Amino acid sequence: MVAAAKLQTVVVDDQLTMRALVRTGLQQIGITQSREFPSADEALQNVLVQPPHLIISDFNMPGMDGLEFLKKLRANPALQNTAFILLTGRADKELVVRALQAGANNYLVKPFTVGILKQKIEQVVGALA
Amino acid sequence: MTSTGLHLIRSNALNHAPRRFLNAYDGNWHVQITQGESHVTDNPKEVLTTILGSCIAACVRDPVAGVGGMNHFLLPESDSGDSTDLRYGVNAMEILINGLLKLGADRRRLEAKLFGGANVLSGLSDVGHRNAAFAEQFLKDEGIRYVGGDIRGDHPRRIQFWPVTGRARQLAMPTTQDPAMLVQSELSLARAGRGERKVDHDVELF
Repeated sequence: MVAAAKLQTVVVDDQLTMRALVRTGLQQIGITQSREFPSADEALQNVLVQPPHLIISDFNMPGMDGLEFLKKLRANPALQNTAFILLTGRADKELVVRALQAGANNYLVKPFTVGILKQKIEQVVGALA
Repeated sequence: MTSTGLHLIRSNALNHAPRRFLNAYDGNWHVQITQGESHVTDNPKEVLTTILGSCIAACVRDPVAGVGGMNHFLLPESDSGDSTDLRYGVNAMEILINGLLKLGADRRRLEAKLFGGANVLSGLSDVGHRNAAFAEQFLKDEGIRYVGGDIRGDHPRRIQFWPVTGRARQLAMPTTQDPAMLVQSELSLARAGRGERKVDHDVELF
């Protein structure tokens, strides 16, 4: 069992509204330690200094997209094992395959329920307590 | 001419997507947007149309890039019944915005008109107004300029939006009127040569 309250999470999405939705969902399942960033560039600078346990990132963002962000993370030894869940706007099989090949641990298709969010996280980090 | 009097060419006969018709009256392609759909374009000859009750249509464009689009969504009640489920609206807006960005729009230049959000079933639910409140808050939170439109009230609306120019028209429908009858009345008005008039927020009634 993983203590949800101790799970350090980073949420990356260019839309404030989506970040707020994810934050609310995380809080509902007990994950209270989350940092949010509106771009992959800003998130990358932060996580290089302070690696989290879990990153939940949108794919479609201006500038660096979620897949490029993931590749940069995996290229860094300190972040090779950080759990990564890709948020996608649609069930794009090809994108999901590319993400998994690049080192994503799971994916989440929007819109999603809190139950699905929890399920996807638990599939990656283990059961939350 | 069809039985309704519309000069329509079914676009699928011309190898285009369904529900896109060439309107012989104005020479524009009319794209019908229904609930759950979104469409973006840079074609100045495309007009996006929809009929709204409680639903919201966000008409968003980048005036510099010359691209625009429309979505059509309704936030369902949440499982607990005490609030509105926002995720569908957020997703609908994101799909629209991402589509515009792919066509060359700059997020900082986006401007929006909102339509719909009527409480059509007066006294039974305020879901329409909650949809309107969500849409307004979304634009505010995301820093998208809110340049007009018409939301709330209790009447269904028929909307036309020219995404490239930002021109928008709406026809307020009587609450008891069937949408099919609306098309007939619209045609009657067009045949009678009634002009369009400008109203507040740069929205035309027709």
